[in-house]
Amino acid sequence: MAQDMTMTADSSAHHFLPTSLRAVIIASALWVLSLSLTVFSGSVAALLGCLIACYLVDWGINRSPLDRLRLLSIVLVCAALFGLGLILAAVMTGTDLLANLASPIYTFNASEFIKWFAVSFSLTVLLRALAHRTSFGAVLEIFFVASAFVITLSAHRNGMIHRPFFIGDFALTRGIDPASILMVLGCGTVLSLAALLMLENHQKRLPYHFTVLGLLCFSLVIYVRTFGLPTPQLTDDLGLTGNEGIGSNSQRENPFRDGQNDSGDKEAPVAIVVFRDDYTPVNGSYYFRESAYSQFNGNMLDFTTRDDMDQDLIEIFTNAAVETSQLPASINERTAVRTSIGLLVSHRSPFGLDSPVAYQSTPNPNNLRFKRTYDAYSLAPEFDFKYLIGREVGREDWSAEVWQEYVAIPNDPRYQALAETLIADLKPQYMNDPFARAWAVKTYLDENGIYSLKNQHAYESDPAASFLFGDLTGYCMHFSFAATYLFRSLGIPTRVGIGYSVPASNRAGGSSLLIQAVHGHAWPEIYFQDIGWVIVDPAPQQTLVDMTTAPQDSLQQLLGDMLRDQTSFEDFLQSRQPPFIDIQLLLNLTYALIALALAAAYAIKYYRLWIPAHADADQQYRVVYRAVLDQLAAVGYHRDYGESREQFATRVAETAPTLPSMTHYHLHRALGDADSQGFDRQQWQLLRDSISKEIQHNVVTWKKVLAKINPFTWVLSK
Amino acid sequence: MTSESVADMTGIEESADSDNSPAAETQLSNSVAVLTTLMDTVQQQVLGRDDVIELAIIALVADGHILLEDFPGSGKTTLAKALGEAITDPRFPSERQNQSSEGSIVPFRRIQFTPDLLPSDITGVPIFDSNSNAFHFRHGPLFAHVVLADEINRTSPKVQSAMLEAMGEKQVTVDNTTYFLDELFFVIATQNPLDLVGTYPLPTPQLDRFLFKITMDHIDRDAELDVLDTYKSRRDKLGKRNTVTREQVLAARAQIDADVAISSAVKIALVDISRNLRQDDRVLQGNSTRSMVLMLPALQVSAALRSRNFVSAEDIELLLPRVLEHRIELAPGVSDIAGILADNMRAPMEQLARGTLS
Repeated sequence: MAQDMTMTADSSAHHFLPTSLRAVIIASALWVLSLSLTVFSGSVAALLGCLIACYLVDWGINRSPLDRLRLLSIVLVCAALFGLGLILAAVMTGTDLLANLASPIYTFNASEFIKWFAVSFSLTVLLRALAHRTSFGAVLEIFFVASAFVITLSAHRNGMIHRPFFIGDFALTRGIDPASILMVLGCGTVLSLAALLMLENHQKRLPYHFTVLGLLCFSLVIYVRTFGLPTPQLTDDLGLTGNEGIGSNSQRENPFRDGQNDSGDKEAPVAIVVFRDDYTPVNGSYYFRESAYSQFNGNMLDFTTRDDMDQDLIEIFTNAAVETSQLPASINERTAVRTSIGLLVSHRSPFGLDSPVAYQSTPNPNNLRFKRTYDAYSLAPEFDFKYLIGREVGREDWSAEVWQEYVAIPNDPRYQALAETLIADLKPQYMNDPFARAWAVKTYLDENGIYSLKNQHAYESDPAASFLFGDLTGYCMHFSFAATYLFRSLGIPTRVGIGYSVPASNRAGGSSLLIQAVHGHAWPEIYFQDIGWVIVDPAPQQTLVDMTTAPQDSLQQLLGDMLRDQTSFEDFLQSRQPPFIDIQLLLNLTYALIALALAAAYAIKYYRLWIPAHADADQQYRVVYRAVLDQLAAVGYHRDYGESREQFATRVAETAPTLPSMTHYHLHRALGDADSQGFDRQQWQLLRDSISKEIQHNVVTWKKVLAKINPFTWVLSK
Repeated sequence: MTSESVADMTGIEESADSDNSPAAETQLSNSVAVLTTLMDTVQQQVLGRDDVIELAIIALVADGHILLEDFPGSGKTTLAKALGEAITDPRFPSERQNQSSEGSIVPFRRIQFTPDLLPSDITGVPIFDSNSNAFHFRHGPLFAHVVLADEINRTSPKVQSAMLEAMGEKQVTVDNTTYFLDELFFVIATQNPLDLVGTYPLPTPQLDRFLFKITMDHIDRDAELDVLDTYKSRRDKLGKRNTVTREQVLAARAQIDADVAISSAVKIALVDISRNLRQDDRVLQGNSTRSMVLMLPALQVSAALRSRNFVSAEDIELLLPRVLEHRIELAPGVSDIAGILADNMRAPMEQLARGTLS
């Protein structure tokens, strides 16, 4: 019977509730879409137009005159409205008349209003009419809402947390992490889509599904608060990140087989570097070395397995400070640079500006954002290539075996032959100069190599040979390996350095530098006596791909501020807002209070339902009755203020027929003789069970589900 | 609701009823039976007035009197007569029940109050018996179980005061001799709410003698039709009705007084309501403490009528307006007595309801 009643109630609310919900969802989609495209008045117009159109169509579609119009006519009318609005807006801004009468800004706002009203009204009428008249219309509607949100939020890809700008700027000027707003928006999108989906069929299931979805979204927020944000996943193309994909072993052995070298995530931020000392590289790029391929394993170059090689590298992260066991020489020609580095993606080894000499872990100012933060101390070169002319290569304390390792190449005579050819043109006085020989090789590669991410060499037994003696088309790995083999064939100790190379211009005058996935790089480096490892990087003049990225100045600055000093970042934010309101603190306090209140409410709720089983027998009349009242209040029946217990019991007798008699027993014990023996525990339990069954049987499902979830059910029970 | 039906609804086994349904209620069953018989018998004769019958029986058993504000011909006499005849007195044979005899108490008397009525007309007079050469008291109509005092506001204050003395003290004094009325003396007084010309309105202290003042409306359509359909058959069935004895009523009165519990929460609620009323700006003079004292037995009877051995909020809600409506004076221009009572009851009643859980 109770279900019959709710059925009729539902059918009476049949039109209003779904229409409103759908109107709000479509309107918010249009609003979000319009935000980045128009001014405030335009957004408001989009909102208004959509709401009006939704109600108009939902109420009028089956009434005169809309019911006589054919779908085609409606489509045509919508198109006409759309065009009319655009033309009117164009005319308004195009003529001087209005601008002179009112102000130009007013005219512009008004024209935006008209334009967006027409756009959103006609679009919504079209969508709604299609949804009513055709079977695919509802799908279009959902698709529209989804794409509106996706288009708006698509700028926020690959960890670009400051985009879209209208959200990022809004959040940053108020000291809120934009990610939170994006998360909320995302949750809102999911909920809206779910609501739209469910609106089509079973309305009675709506609150149920909705609650479940809401909980899911809530748990997502909790997840992010606890475990951090999802970060961009990078392919381990250079062996930098240690993200082990499928077949990671072979991949590490063969850095050429990095698979797709997908440029889709090339803008993904990888790390942020904050320069504590000023430094500008001589050759136009900052090189950050992480590790090196130096030992020829019979197949190709790989990480060294010998302890006496590559002693300048630091392979693992440590919590304490760590220094290289081998410092570069020629201190006078180098400058000490301290950099703070925040990793957005996990890395296998620490990296630092060439040449890193020490690392020290620092407290992470933002656990959600940074995987790891550390300070790197580097001795950065300030010499140019002329300084290298006439220098000897190799290190005096190298054993013969180490020397041998640094000049080992594949068993392929073509390397030596090509190298000899290349240095044949050198002037006699430079004929035996190692740097001049290397420069000749580099020049050859610069002039003849073609940079391309697509190449044919990945699965050759020696990709470097395939590249060098083939089409000379490849990317940094090919260039660096080929150069290394050529250098080595000339007796120059060389290795392939792995890390990042970022154009100096990217710093854009600031002190922070954003490293993105696209900056991953490999280069040949030569050991000069009394100087150290020097990067001699071939730079092909022909390139088939555009590896430049749009400058991410604001993201770079934002991340840099986050890393540099949390307090100064907050100071900066605080300087932008009234000092007596700390929004972040208030928010955190509010979260904590809400969480506390929820926990306490649940505790009280379940305590009151649980205690009857454990209370004394002479308290049963009280606690059992209270538990029953809680159960009834949870499904929407509670005693009104001033209402007597008997009146309440009579009122809900239809739902819980046992309640009047139970109330009688309860009152008998509460108001009658206190010493008279009432029921024992078991009989009170029987009464409660029978009421529980009655509630189970007589109450609609969504109310029962809500009763389980709602923590405050006991508040109204009295 | 009887205890059987309660047990049925709970679905608890039979044993629960006999073992655990509150023991004191079974002791009350005699009293409950008396009340139920009275209700049934009167209801057979007075249709559509169940609420008034209930209040009348409560007042009867609670040793109070009632004042009806009603229109002529609305069944007041029928009610009073039915109530009186439902109570038999074994000291007299049934055929003489209604006959006037000297020194006797009759079940029912009706007094029509007029301006020229004298106190002796209702109390009785000593008359000189020439045979015995002595004065002999002839009992007036007050010597009955149930007295219907019709249009009590139409008689002079002198008669009214004699009437009210009898109601208060259960005795009449004639020529310095005091005659005691029956223990079960019960007055149903009426006054016409409209026709006030040439009346002597009862002052508030005298109204205080009445436990309830009941304002009656016309009975509803179906009940009225029922009255027209069945008045003949009901008249034919005279004599077949169940009755209770005077002693049974008195025993029930004693037992209810002893066995129906009034918890302190109920008393607190009553006192709080009184205090609220006295502080209400719309009330000129609040109710007396005596009204609360008088109400307690009535609450007990009301509880017993519902097979309860404790006084509950239900009883207060039923009786409090009847008890207080004629006892409080409202400020000039205020007339919504029901609203004022409801407003002032709400908080104490809420307190009472919440108190059962703590």
